[in-house]
Amino acid sequence: MQFTVETTPAYAEVNGSGRLNMVAAPLLREVVAAVVAEGNHHVVVNMEGTEFMDSSGLGALIGCLKIARQAGGDLRIANVQPQVKMVLELTSMHRVLNPYESVDAAFPHA
Amino acid sequence: MPEVLARSTRQGLATGATVDALHEDFETLWRKADFVPDMDRMAFSTAVIEAASNVVQHAVPASDTPLQLGVEITIWSRRLEARISEIGAAPSSPGLSNPSEIDDESESGRGLNLIHALVSTVTFERHGEDNVWVLCRDSSEA
Repeated sequence: MQFTVETTPAYAEVNGSGRLNMVAAPLLREVVAAVVAEGNHHVVVNMEGTEFMDSSGLGALIGCLKIARQAGGDLRIANVQPQVKMVLELTSMHRVLNPYESVDAAFPHA
Repeated sequence: MPEVLARSTRQGLATGATVDALHEDFETLWRKADFVPDMDRMAFSTAVIEAASNVVQHAVPASDTPLQLGVEITIWSRRLEARISEIGAAPSSPGLSNPSEIDDESESGRGLNLIHALVSTVTFERHGEDNVWVLCRDSSEA
């Protein structure tokens, strides 16, 4: 899985392309931890290119959410694909990681 | 006996690389079994990869021999079946997590519950020196 980061004045956007599984999960944690450590406390994970997520990937997102919140910010997800949506709903984690329709919609007033 | 319409097998070291290869196997398999509805493909492949990942992360070798992961997938007209083998593993019996023990901040513990939500039946059996998961999803349209 490939990750890229773009920063704006309002938030940092982390793009994940590929499969967010047990192999990629630790990488996502590292990427988001580094983004937050650089002072970007509002993070959007753009999942448009994330074709698959398992419980390891979900666990990584939850870990990243905690990292952002501990820094006084937040982490939101956008552009989720059907398989990711299915996993979020079956685990009821869509209540915590509510998918936004677009990156801009994730932090509209940030 | 219904006809087997597609089959895929893989065996390799119980590592993330073998799980990654399993994703590729599914892409090939669904090209052969293109009659399987999208929802069934998505749910079944997620469950199988979740179980394979569980083997890599939690299965314990019975000896110094590295653990192997075996996956055999069989597609019938109305049934999708996967046998996921922990080859050379010590006996174990993975149990479901109690939902009350998993709070919103838990970063693990959801995998087995997710598998059960995605397929029709889950069994876990001991066969010789191996533990074997059998996952079946009934598909009304496949």
